[in-house]
This record gives sequence, structure tokens and C-alpha cells, in this order.
Amino acid sequence: MQAASSGIGYGLKYQARCISDVKADTDHTSFLAGTLSLKEENEVHLIRLSSSGTELFCEGLFSHPNEIWDLVSCPFDQRIFSTVYSNGETYGAAIWQIPELYGELNSPQLERITSLDTDSGKIKCILWWPSGRHDKLISINEENLYLWNLDVSKKTAQVQSQDSAGMLHKLSGGAWDPHDVSSVAATCESYLQFWDVRTMKKTMSIECSHVCSVDYHPQKQHILVTAEHESGIHIWDLRKPKVPIQELPGHTHWTWTVKCNPEYDGMILSAGTDSTVNLWLASTNHDELTTERQVDSSARWVDPLLNTYSDYEDSIYGLTWSSREPWIFASLSYDGRVVVESVKPFISKK
Amino acid sequence: MVGEEVVPMDDKAKRMRDLLSSFYSPDPSISNNTSKHASLDDINSTSFDPDQYMNILAHKSNLEGLLQRHVEMAAEIKNLDTDLQMLVYENYNKFISATDTIKRMKSNISGMETNMEQLLEKIMSVQSRSDSVNTSLFDKREHIEKLHRTCNLLRKVQFIYDLPDRLSKCIKSEAYADAVRFYIGAMPIFKAYGDSSFRDCKQASEEAIAVVVKNLQGKLFSDSESIQVRADAAVLLKQLDFPVNNLKAKLFEKLEQSITDIRLNPEEINNPSGDRSTHEAAIHEFVEAVCAFRVIFPDSEEQLVKVAEDLVTKNFVIAEEYVKTRISPEDLLGVLRVIWNDVLLIDEVLQEAALSNHSLEAAKVVVTSFVRSAFFHLLQDISDSLLQILKKEGAEQCTLDVVLDASTKAVLQGGLNVLLDFRKILDDDSGILVRLRELIIDWVQEGLQEFFRQLEDQFLLFSGRNHSSIQVHGLAEGTQGDKAFAGLVLVLAQLSAFIEQTVIPKVTEEIAASFSGGSVRGYESGPAFVPGEICRKFRSAGEKFLHLYINMRNQRVSLLLKKRFTTPNWVKHKEPREVHMFVDLFLQELEIIVNEVKQILPQGRRKHHRTDSNGSSASSRSNPLREEKLGRSNTQRARSQLLETHLAKLFKQKVEIFTKVEYTQESVVTTIVKLGLKSFQEFVRLQTFNRSGFQQIQLDIQFVRIPLREIVEDEAAIDFLLDEVIVATAERCLDPIPLEPPILDKLIRAKLAKTEEQNTISS
Repeated sequence: MQAASSGIGYGLKYQARCISDVKADTDHTSFLAGTLSLKEENEVHLIRLSSSGTELFCEGLFSHPNEIWDLVSCPFDQRIFSTVYSNGETYGAAIWQIPELYGELNSPQLERITSLDTDSGKIKCILWWPSGRHDKLISINEENLYLWNLDVSKKTAQVQSQDSAGMLHKLSGGAWDPHDVSSVAATCESYLQFWDVRTMKKTMSIECSHVCSVDYHPQKQHILVTAEHESGIHIWDLRKPKVPIQELPGHTHWTWTVKCNPEYDGMILSAGTDSTVNLWLASTNHDELTTERQVDSSARWVDPLLNTYSDYEDSIYGLTWSSREPWIFASLSYDGRVVVESVKPFISKK
Repeated sequence: MVGEEVVPMDDKAKRMRDLLSSFYSPDPSISNNTSKHASLDDINSTSFDPDQYMNILAHKSNLEGLLQRHVEMAAEIKNLDTDLQMLVYENYNKFISATDTIKRMKSNISGMETNMEQLLEKIMSVQSRSDSVNTSLFDKREHIEKLHRTCNLLRKVQFIYDLPDRLSKCIKSEAYADAVRFYIGAMPIFKAYGDSSFRDCKQASEEAIAVVVKNLQGKLFSDSESIQVRADAAVLLKQLDFPVNNLKAKLFEKLEQSITDIRLNPEEINNPSGDRSTHEAAIHEFVEAVCAFRVIFPDSEEQLVKVAEDLVTKNFVIAEEYVKTRISPEDLLGVLRVIWNDVLLIDEVLQEAALSNHSLEAAKVVVTSFVRSAFFHLLQDISDSLLQILKKEGAEQCTLDVVLDASTKAVLQGGLNVLLDFRKILDDDSGILVRLRELIIDWVQEGLQEFFRQLEDQFLLFSGRNHSSIQVHGLAEGTQGDKAFAGLVLVLAQLSAFIEQTVIPKVTEEIAASFSGGSVRGYESGPAFVPGEICRKFRSAGEKFLHLYINMRNQRVSLLLKKRFTTPNWVKHKEPREVHMFVDLFLQELEIIVNEVKQILPQGRRKHHRTDSNGSSASSRSNPLREEKLGRSNTQRARSQLLETHLAKLFKQKVEIFTKVEYTQESVVTTIVKLGLKSFQEFVRLQTFNRSGFQQIQLDIQFVRIPLREIVEDEAAIDFLLDEVIVATAERCLDPIPLEPPILDKLIRAKLAKTEEQNTISS
């Protein structure tokens, strides 16, 4: 609230759902955002934060053939990113490359490296190998999970293995474990399911109603955070999957997405359809005994909500931390407004 | 200065004294000590010089003075002369009488010596006579003494031989004391010669004494004998070296047995027709027995104290047990009074026991346990009345308002009743409770605090998604249970608010009126009952429950919406023919909520009362910009559409969608509707629609608009949200052409007619 004015705004022309941190760009703090317009020419914006940190400017503007439902920047090449798109009826996914010398072209076309086409299902999201240069990708559609082998130079991608989510389950999203790269978590209506990508078999599932977003704790193995539409945010320890180790109240309406800070332990961002972004400080480091007690005595519990950013007009679906400057996050509301905020005042509090 | 002191002394007297002292004292220098330093004009000094004196006098005084002095002196001289004469005469007299005395002494002493000699002679003769008598009587006296000794011995032997007879006589006349005395007197002889000369005698008397012992024992044990008799018997037995301790032990056994008889029977005490006299008689008997004991065995106090303590402890233990079985304060008071009376009675005869202190401690335990159990039962009552909601079907299902009513009554009335009960105890003036007054006040306050804390815990437990706690009560699970569960949560919310707003102030009032001034605990810890803290707790709990209820209800609505949006293929939707069924379900769900909420929550005032009459105004109320926009042909650019939406939002006041929930029917329902519509919008945004799909949504929204307005308090927000849904649908539509108003109207009317028909059929 008091920090609301500190946000730096940037307007996309159309409605939009997805924004991604450009991890591979080590020189600048940049974000990629894709628009969601059914009838217009959709665009991908490469947005860069000025070195002074006071201004957002458009570094590149590329047209994209369809409305974008998911966009992830490649972790090892700042010019590559993946999108999931739809033309209203069918869904598809592709890997794109930003053309060289795009500064000289007026409205440069993106270069399609390859499409990740599968026979069936509404594709939901693409997961890149969590860190470093690697040729593996995962795509998740409603029914299946695919592991792809991507060859950027040959511009091909092949399905290496796949597994079905099961008859009654519809997958909606997922996350790749940064600590154990053989493990992938996928959200699936009332479950959080885990696959071992080596065998492509389900390993475990956590019961968790209306789960819609999941993020691994970047420093601590076994800890992950989920956002659920109705019941807020849960923090889980995978060694004790029966009950969450902590619950946060989430948002007034749906909690849409949740992101762990890449650097600061326990700092969690959540965005919701009540047009707010909440900054939480959860303690993920307490051990078994203390957690139990603290869950019990929530009365003595200090409010984990550090701040609410409410300077938005519409629901917020896109949210990302900057990996280069981890005290900065970018949020994207449905009306196409990108807001970059700094959480520095709350870090010093610790 | 010295002169001044001397002046008051009479000149004459002084002179007389000096003269007398000079007369009697051998050393004139000492007597004249005082006049040594006399001035020259002192006529009495030894160094008196008449010429000088005359000079001074003539020099000092006038003629008249001199004449006067002359007269004085002449008188003085005359006086002195007479004094001297007197002295001389007196001395002479004394001298004469002394001479007379000496003369008489001389004549008296002369005959004395002859008398003395005569006396000596007589004494000598008396002595010689006495010596002669002594020598002549000496032999006889020895003989007599021997005879006397034999006589004594014979008398003793006689006594021994007579002993059995005497003893039996004593037994006959029950003069046991004499018997024992005789026997003990004979004892040394029996010891010395019992085996030889007096064997028969000894046997006979031992037999007799055995009878005595037996009789004494009988007396000791017989309750009919007076205490004095029994005590004497005990003393006698002790004198006979009889093992009295065994007897004592036996008697104690008996006493302890009698204790079991006077054990408290609380039910009997508090049964009005019950016979209390048995207990009273028993306790009197016990008291008497104790009295007797003290007299009989003066060294038995310790044991008696133990027995008495035992009795009291046992009684208190019984009372404690009794307290656990939900009793009224009158019952408790009855029991305590009986116990206290017993204690007082015993205390009278056995002060060493300090039973009142002992029982005070025990009473503390009983009263605390009473306080605790009273609160426990209250908690149980409240829980029971709450859990009526979850009773299985089959047994008649309680409606929420009935349950709420019962629960509020249970809390308020129950709470006040409990306090009233405590008050009765507090007002009781029986000795023991008066001393505990302050402590009781503290206990009550502490108990109250603890009770509310537990109540909140209990509420939280009930509201927990984890049903295990409720299953313990053997109640239904499953969908029915779930439905009822939401109701329970709502009741809990209202009940919490009720407790915060009504019960706590009342209870606080009551506490202030009757239970103030306890705090033995000291000031720093403050009073045990902190209403502010409890209020805070219940306020937050109430809000939590309300939110939980809204959340639970909203989840059902969301589920409904989710099914609605995931099932059809919206891109290939067919033309709308009627209002979709899901609307009925949605409204049904809302109706259930409204019903529940109406039973529990108070009615609030409406914020935006509708000024215009019925539903025909619906379209005119909706956003004109939207109407216009939707009215345009589909060739209109979607970009400008978005712009318009933004513009519209700018000009419209930003509607606060998510406001604070209040404890009113409307507020809760409105919140649920708002959340539902927001979810609706979000679901819409995830889909892509064709024209028919869009029209279907438009139709459905138009249909729910009127019934929704009926039940919510914030029409503006609802209108806004409904419009938002349509805008969102339009945005997600490939070809957003709305239905023509006449068709829309027709379809809605058809639906209304159908519902009405169904209603009439069903009714």
C-alpha cells in the first residue's frame, strides 16, 4: 500500500496473462510478456528495467500469431522462449527465437524453432530444465506429460517419453524440482502429482483441493508451495505429505499463482483475482517439532503477510521474481499492465 | 548570698542548737565550725569582741535603733539565764535518779547466790533418778519389741491366708479396686514364698484375681458401663500388669469399624425424606467413643487424631466423588454442612487433631472440583446443544434457528445459572465456606476464564475440517454431514458474536457484583477473569467462523460453476433455447444459504434500497455503455471495445467488491454472491466462446439478475459484477453479438412460467 506508489508501470496494448523473467540475460533485468487477445494481432514484449531502476522500456516488440496462454524464457539463452498459444479452438506450443538484429526491423517476426505438437489435448504449460544448458523440456497438457528432447541447432524436438495423468485427472500446470531434476510436480485439480522423469512414472501424490499453482523452494529441498483457488497458500514438506507445514490465508478471491523468491528464504509472492499481490514471509526452516506447535498456536503467530500491493485494476495472472535482482518482481494484471516493484524495504526488516 | 540563706533561721534557735552541741560534743572546735567565719557583729561567735561590736553598733545605728537593740538584748539575756537554769536543774534531777537506781540494784543482788545453789542440787538428783529407771526397764523393753514384731508378722501371714477369701468377697461386692490393692500388697510375699509355703494361697488368690481381670475386661469392653468405670477398669488392669495395649488395639479396631458406619452417604443427606438422624447418631456415638478413649487411654491421642483425620478425609473423598456427579449447589452445601458439623463435634473432643484446618484443605479440594465440574458440565451442555445439528436424519433434524436458540440459551442461561450456583455457595454462612470465600472467588474467576478458553477451543475443534472430533460423538458424515456442517459453522459464528456481545458483558457484570474482591493471588497478577481478552478471542473466532462458512458455501458454488464451464465445448455451442439448468442449481444453492442465514443472523439494513419498482428496470439499470457497445455490430473493433471498457471503468466509481463481512443476513449472502459472480467471471475468462455461447451466458446472467437483487444488500456491486461477467464473455467471444432484447425477454418469461408451473405442481 505505501509501496504501491513505488511501482513502475508499463502498459501492454491488450489483455495479458503471462510474464516471464529472462533468466539468461545477466546484464539487464528483463522480462518477457505475451498478450492474450482473441481477435487482434498478439505481441510479445521484451521489457527491460533501466539501469537506474526507475523506468521500464520496451526493448523489443514481436508479433505472435496467436493469443498466448503461457510463456517461459529459456534459462540458458535469452533469445529463446517457449509459448503456449490458442486460436480459440485449438491449442499449441512452440519454441521461439528472437531474431538477430531485431532493433533494425520495424516489426520483426519471431523465428519459430520448433513446435511441440502432440496428437491430443489442450496444452497447458512448458517447463524448461531448471538450470543450465540442457536439451530437455517438459510439456504438460490436460491428459499427458511429455518429455521432449530439444535440439536448438537442428531445430527439432522429439518426444522422448510420456505418461498419462489418468482417466479422471486433468493436469493444469507444474514445476520442475531444482534440487532433484528427475522429479516434476504437476497440479491436477485436487491433487499434486509427482513424476520421475527417468522412468516417466508417477511417484507420489498429495491431496490438495483446487490446486492451481506450484513452486519449489529454490534453496531448500523437499519444500514446495502451492496456491489453491479457494483455500489460499499451503507450504509442504515432501517428506511429510499428509499435512501442510504451514497455511497462509491467500487472497479474498482466488489465489492464482505463487512464487518463491530465488534468493531470500521464506519470501513468497502470491497474486490473486482480487487484484492484489501479497508478499508473505513464511518460515520454512523450522523443524518437525516446532512446526507442529506453531501450526497449533496460530494465535501467537506473527502475521506472515508483509505487504499487499493493491494498485491494480484487474485480476493478476502473471507474476515473476527477477533472478538478476531478486528483490524485484514483475506482475501482470489482466488489463495488460506490467508493474515492477521492489521488496527491498521488507528485506531489511529481517 | 550566704547571709540571705542564714537569715530565715531563727537566731535564737540557732544559738540554742550551738549551745547544746557545744555542751554534748567533746570538741568545741567542731561545733563552732559554722561560726568561724561569722562577721564581727555576730555576738555568738567565739571571737566576739564586745568593744568592736559596740563600736560597730553605735556607728551603724541611730539612737532609736540602739535603744531598741538594748531592749532586745536585755530580753535575750534574761531568756538565756532561764535556759541555763533549766539545764542545770534537769541535770541535777537525772543525777539523783541514777543514784537511786544504783542503790536498789545493790540490795537486790545480795540474795541471788543461795537460790542458784539450791537449783543445781535439785537437777542433780533428777538426773540420777532417771538413770536408775532406765537401767531397770531396759530388759523388758527389748522383750516387748520382739513380741511386737512377731505380732506384725503373724498379722501379715494371716492377711495372706485370708487373701483368697477377701478377694472373693471383693469380687462379690465388686470392690475391684480393693481387690487389686490387696493383691498387689501380697505380691512381694507371693514372689518370695509363693512356691513353697503359700502355694495354695497363691493359687487361690491368683484364681480370684483372674476372675477380677476377666470382670475388669468385661467392664472395659461393655459400652453400657459409664466411662469412669471403664477408665478405672483400665487403670486397674494396667496395675495388674495386664497387656492393656492389646486391649487398646482391639478397641481401636472397634472404633475404626464404627467409622465405616458413619461414612457419608450424600444421596441420603440430600434426599429430603432421607433420614439424617442415623448419621447424626453415629457421629455422636463416635464422639462419645473418642471421649471415652481419651479418658481410658490418656496416651492414645495420636491414634485418635489419626482415626478422626481418616474419617474426615474419607468423607471429603466421598464428597469429591459426589461432586463429580453433577450436583446442585444445595446438595454440595448439604454435604459440606454435615461434614463440617461432624468436624466441629470431633474438634470439641479432640482439639489436638486440628481437624478444622485439615478439613479446610480438604474442602478446598472439594469446592475447586465442584467449580471445575460445574464449568465442565456447562461446556458439555453447550456442545451437546450445538451438535444437535449434526444428528443423523431419521431422528428429527433440528433446524438451525432452534439449535442456535438452544445454544445461546445454554451459554447465557447456563453461564448465569452456574454463577448463581457459585453465589449460593458464596452466600452460605456455614463456617467452612466463609473462610474459603476469597479463594472461591478466585476459583470462580479462574474457572470462568478457563471455561471460555475451552469453549473457544471446542468451537475451533468443531469447525475443524477434521471431522474426527465430531465422529466421536457418533454423528453423521458424508454429504448430509457436510451440509449440516456448514450450518454448524454458521451457528458457531453467530454464537461467538453473541458470546462476545451479550454473554461476556453480562457475566462480567455478575462477576463484578458478586465475585469481586478475591485476588488472594496478589495484585500484580490481576484478576483471573479478563473479559477483554475473552471478547477479543471470540470476536476473532466469530469472524473466522463466518469466513469459514462463506468459504464453504462458496466452494459449492464454485464447484457448480466449474462443472458448468468445463463440460460443454463453448466454441461449438448451440443457439440458446432456454435459460440453462445450472442457473436453477445456482439459485437453489443461494436459496439454501439464504435460508440458513435467515435462521441465524440478524437482518441488517439495506444500503441501497431500490427506488424503482420491479424487475423491468433491469436493463435500464445496467451499464449504458455496455448496452451500446453490445448493440454495435461485430465489425466493431475489439480494440476499441477494450478501450471502452477501460473508459467505462474510469467513469464508474470503482466498486468495492470485497468489503468486510458483517453479522447480517444480507452481508453474508451478498459476500457469497459476490464471490460467486467473481468466480463466474474468472471461469469465463478461461474459455473461448462462439456467438451462441456468449448469448447463452447473456441469457443466464439476465435471468439471475432479478432474483439476485432480491437477496443482496449492495445492488450496485452485484450489477457491476454481472456486467463484468458479460463484458468478460464478450471479450472472450469470437463473435460477440448479443441476443435481441425481445428474444431475451421471451426466453426469460418462458423460464419464469416454467418455474411457476413446477412450483404449483410441487406444491
